[in-house]
Amino acid sequence: MAGNHIQKYLHALKRQLWLRGVFDPESLEEVENHLLEAVEAGIRRGLSVDESERRAVERFGSVKVVSLAFEREKNTLMQKLLLALAVLTGLFIAYVDSRPTWDDTGITAGAILLSSGLLTLLGYRRPWLIALAIGLWLPIYEIYVSHNYSLPNLIFFPLAILLMASIGAYGGWLARLGIQKTFHPA
Amino acid sequence: MYMIIRMIGEALKGHLDLLLLAILAEGPAHGYAVIESLRARSGDVFDLPEGTIYPALHRLENQGLLRSSWSQDSARRKRIYQLTPKGQQALVTRQDEWLKFSKAINTTVGI
Repeated sequence: MAGNHIQKYLHALKRQLWLRGVFDPESLEEVENHLLEAVEAGIRRGLSVDESERRAVERFGSVKVVSLAFEREKNTLMQKLLLALAVLTGLFIAYVDSRPTWDDTGITAGAILLSSGLLTLLGYRRPWLIALAIGLWLPIYEIYVSHNYSLPNLIFFPLAILLMASIGAYGGWLARLGIQKTFHPA
Repeated sequence: MYMIIRMIGEALKGHLDLLLLAILAEGPAHGYAVIESLRARSGDVFDLPEGTIYPALHRLENQGLLRSSWSQDSARRKRIYQLTPKGQQALVTRQDEWLKFSKAINTTVGI
């Protein structure tokens, strides 16, 4: 049974791994077993349980460092592909929206919302980056074509598009976390 | 002293794959044993945060250089890693590269 320091550490690490989209119950079990083994080794060397736990956690590395290491090693190619797809989708939406015959703001907004959500649902781990990759091109193109440098066009329009993309991206990300939690509740 | 430890840590990251493959070439082991072996064989010089070793082991497994299985011959389940034939080949290649690299460094600095 893991003690207080270990439990706290595992809880914090699990949370960080969830947030980074790289939680895997087997990896957490492996970490827990490592820490327990380190504690047992410390006790054999004559340390108290509390001190042994504290040192085991300290040697393992901060939650931030360890969760970052897990994030860096997981699916990097998949992450790059999804980001590239987000950029292409954003460019495509900007291109379609710029056509003189296209006059359906609702469909454009829906496309931004859905594509952002879909890409984070598929596994992209940084919703804010997906929102930028999809939502940035439309306002840039609009400003470039119209040469309209008014406040609404420079600030409010991009913010509205990025807000739409963010809602989609974070929605997809939360849905993914929910699905993972349902099927891997450990 | 802190700077020296940090420099060793940074240098170590670049060669971590070689070190892990070399340790596992001696036989299957679980993460804790790999880390203990890394520390003991380096005389406590290689002292990375232990938690950063696991993602590296997982990456090597994803690359097909290691395979892992869970064993339950003790109170707790242990994930045991072992080299694959591809991992053995990679180890030989990386040992060769390291030999050339370290020789070049030694020659350059006059050791």
